[in-house]
Amino acid sequence: MWPTWINMLGWWQWAILLAVPPAIISLYFLKLRRRPVEVPSTYLWSRTIEDLHVNTIWQRLRRNLLLLLQLILLAILILALLRPAWRGQKLIGHRFVFLIDNSASMNASDVAPNRLDDAKRRAAALVDNMASGDVGMVVSFADTARVEQMLTGDRAALRRAIESIRPTNRPTSMVEALKVASAQAAGRHAAQPADEKSEQIVPAETSPATAYILSDGKFAPVSDSSLGLLKPIFLPVGGESPSNAAILVFQTRPREKLENWLQAFAQIKNFGTQTIRADVTLRRDGNLIDAEDVSIGPGETQNVVFDVGEMDEGVLELAVGARDRLAVDNRGWVAVNPPRPAEVLLVTPGNEPLELALGTRSAAKLANVAVRPPTFLKTQEYAAAAAGVHDLVIFDRCRPETMPQSNTLFIGNVPTEPRWSLGERVDVPQIIDSDPSHPMMQWLALDDVLLWEGRAVNPGPGGSVLIDSDAGPMLAIAPRETFQDAAMGFLLVDVENGESVSRTNWPIRPSFPMFVLNTLTYLGGAVQERGGQSVRPGQPFAFEAAGPVGSVTVVGPDGRTMRPTVVRPGQYQISTTEQLGAYEVRVGGKPVSRFAINLFDPNESDLAPRPAISAGVEQVAGQSGWEAARREIWRPLLLAALAVLVVEWLVYNRRVGM
Amino acid sequence: MSTTSTLLSPELLARLEKMELISRKIFRGRMKGERRSRRKGQSVEFADFRNYVPGDDLRFIDWNTYARLERLFLKLFLEEEDLHFYALIDASASMGFGDPTKLRYAQQLAAALGFIGLIRGDRVRIETLGQRGSAHSPVFRGRRNAWRMFEHAESIEPGEQTSLAAGVKNFCLRNSGKGIVVLLTDLMDKAGFEPGLRYLLAQQMDVYVVHILSTEELHPELTGDLRLVDCEDGDEAEVTVTGPLLKRYHQTLAAFLESARDFCTRRGMVYLAANNQVALETTITDYLARRGLVR
Repeated sequence: MWPTWINMLGWWQWAILLAVPPAIISLYFLKLRRRPVEVPSTYLWSRTIEDLHVNTIWQRLRRNLLLLLQLILLAILILALLRPAWRGQKLIGHRFVFLIDNSASMNASDVAPNRLDDAKRRAAALVDNMASGDVGMVVSFADTARVEQMLTGDRAALRRAIESIRPTNRPTSMVEALKVASAQAAGRHAAQPADEKSEQIVPAETSPATAYILSDGKFAPVSDSSLGLLKPIFLPVGGESPSNAAILVFQTRPREKLENWLQAFAQIKNFGTQTIRADVTLRRDGNLIDAEDVSIGPGETQNVVFDVGEMDEGVLELAVGARDRLAVDNRGWVAVNPPRPAEVLLVTPGNEPLELALGTRSAAKLANVAVRPPTFLKTQEYAAAAAGVHDLVIFDRCRPETMPQSNTLFIGNVPTEPRWSLGERVDVPQIIDSDPSHPMMQWLALDDVLLWEGRAVNPGPGGSVLIDSDAGPMLAIAPRETFQDAAMGFLLVDVENGESVSRTNWPIRPSFPMFVLNTLTYLGGAVQERGGQSVRPGQPFAFEAAGPVGSVTVVGPDGRTMRPTVVRPGQYQISTTEQLGAYEVRVGGKPVSRFAINLFDPNESDLAPRPAISAGVEQVAGQSGWEAARREIWRPLLLAALAVLVVEWLVYNRRVGM
Repeated sequence: MSTTSTLLSPELLARLEKMELISRKIFRGRMKGERRSRRKGQSVEFADFRNYVPGDDLRFIDWNTYARLERLFLKLFLEEEDLHFYALIDASASMGFGDPTKLRYAQQLAAALGFIGLIRGDRVRIETLGQRGSAHSPVFRGRRNAWRMFEHAESIEPGEQTSLAAGVKNFCLRNSGKGIVVLLTDLMDKAGFEPGLRYLLAQQMDVYVVHILSTEELHPELTGDLRLVDCEDGDEAEVTVTGPLLKRYHQTLAAFLESARDFCTRRGMVYLAANNQVALETTITDYLARRGLVR
């Protein structure tokens, strides 16, 4: 590659400049004509300069060294004046945001050593090519974004920040990353004072920034992110369609008719372009209990079912022994917890149909029901019970002074909350509609249900109507803090002249026990699936645990003990769920429940490179992050000239010093 | 005194008349003061005692000491022969430098010392290093020969091409006797001054080396890029004279002087570094007197 030149001088200037070297040489020879002086004896002089003559070649060279250095200096200066430059590249723009994806898919090893390191290396190369005066910031993102380095011109800091990015197991989302980037770098923030003390307002910066997105593009299209002044440049990371098998689903379910008999069900997909043969192994608490060889064609999904047998608690681990490019999606965990029935308190003056429905075998399995009369609400005992002992409290034709710290269902009344309002009594309201998508209303057919009378229950803003009638909502639900309050506008039974009379035919319809079971499941919240919950990495996991606050700990897959944060008494939350695997909740050191963190994300597991991503409304195709530029070298040339000058000075001094 | 000379001023001559040459050599035992003094009023000069051994001349026994200590001691006396005084002048081309030239300074010194010798009746001979092996220069004796000696000294011209070693060797071959020899030279011999001085050592003479240097050598006023030409052999040395180089030159010069002084002192020769800018009178009456050549 030959340099290109720009002539900086006119011909007469060149003539002057080119006349300098002969001038120097002639001056040098003039200077060398030594004046002869006769001395009595050169005896002492010879002895004085004796050691200078030790090496005559060096001596001769030395004699000409200054001339040589002067000529070199001049040559360098002339060269610098020609402004030599190589065809080079430079970054686009002057403000940069390096968005580096550190999600689970970036652990793929299809580029050595892995995608993240490759991205980091490329980002570092970009930083190295920043011109002086350019500023940049580093943002790492998975499902959340993290500013590793604020906007700075310090390239060493940027490199350090890039180097400090660690891989995660999280899924990917660009939304936050782009928001952070456009807010921080593209100068979209409002005007701000120059510093804390001064009142002077610095006008908002409006300089555009270039966002270098180093990612494999494994995320859902971003639609609502406003890029603002951000100019995204997508630098795709990753090789050509690497092979990868991934577990997408791993669950347990009870075998039909055998309540304690668990079956494990897994779905494994081959994202590669070649058939994968792998042995799938299932371990229970670390012991191998079953294995199966599977062969999955490209793009195909294979379902695997294992019989686990009777299992009350423990951890099931599924591993796909495929040698593919991404290891984190080859394992899945299911935490099996012992069933825990919901604690339900029914406060009623007497409600035979409801008590009957709660007393069925299925319901009994889901909940322990305690029945109390309305007078119970005035006792100290209720005050204690309201503090969160129960999962669900059903108030039949009564209303507490203070709402309990649990989910509630009000029958013929509304919760003691300002948002709720109760309508006038209406005779024979007609059920118009119900909301089958709500868990409480699933599989309920209310066509044959008649109501004798009812009052509209209005849940206010934020609530949702489950059963609507021509007289208004008959069943509604609304959140209260972390709880759900449901209110039923009609009575099931009432007491008239000392006799119990029905107010609806619902209790004798098949949908009623179903509704009770749904209520126990949803509001009772108790019946956790046998096959515990699976949470995505990085997501906070909330759980309940009885026991003193300090005694609740969570042990991670690596054996590390963590302390969950207390949401409220008995409710905890843990956010350090970065690691995949089974976590164990312990109270006073004894394991009480488990949960599993699994990737199970087809977006992350699909390693096929994406040529373009959509950021904001734009389609950002993978492209080069460079634009052609002249890489001029006159600056280093001048530095070299300075160095030569220093050497010349040293040589001259040394020569004189001899 | 009717003698006139351009070499020495009358005032200096008047001063020199009161001085005499001294030989440091004591001829122990052998001479034993056998010779009577020729100079009246100046008795035999006492030097030392030594134990009496049978056969010694009883006349020299110190009876006073015997009376006091009841032991016999012999008195020893300095040589009281008429002295041979040799002035050996280096008349090489390098001696022609300086103002006055080093040679002139050497001539003056030789003449002055010779004059002292003549006054005291010593034999005086002034020679140069370049003299032919057998060519004796005249011996001067007696005060009336002073002008002839001055003439002879003044007739010496610089430009002889003899090395220090060869010159001294010839001198030694010519003059094998005892006496005082004063070598007047700048010691600038590329082969080194040591061989030459060693020849003198072999002689049983009282050797004085007067090392004459001129200002050009002691404080050269040279600057710039120079080609130094040796006036004797035409050797050239290219130097760029700078402050540091001059400093180095002075170090070399000091080392040279020191080595000469050291060489002489170790071998019983008296060394004097003379500067042609120091008045002749001071050199003789002060420096040489202090070194015991004259009194």
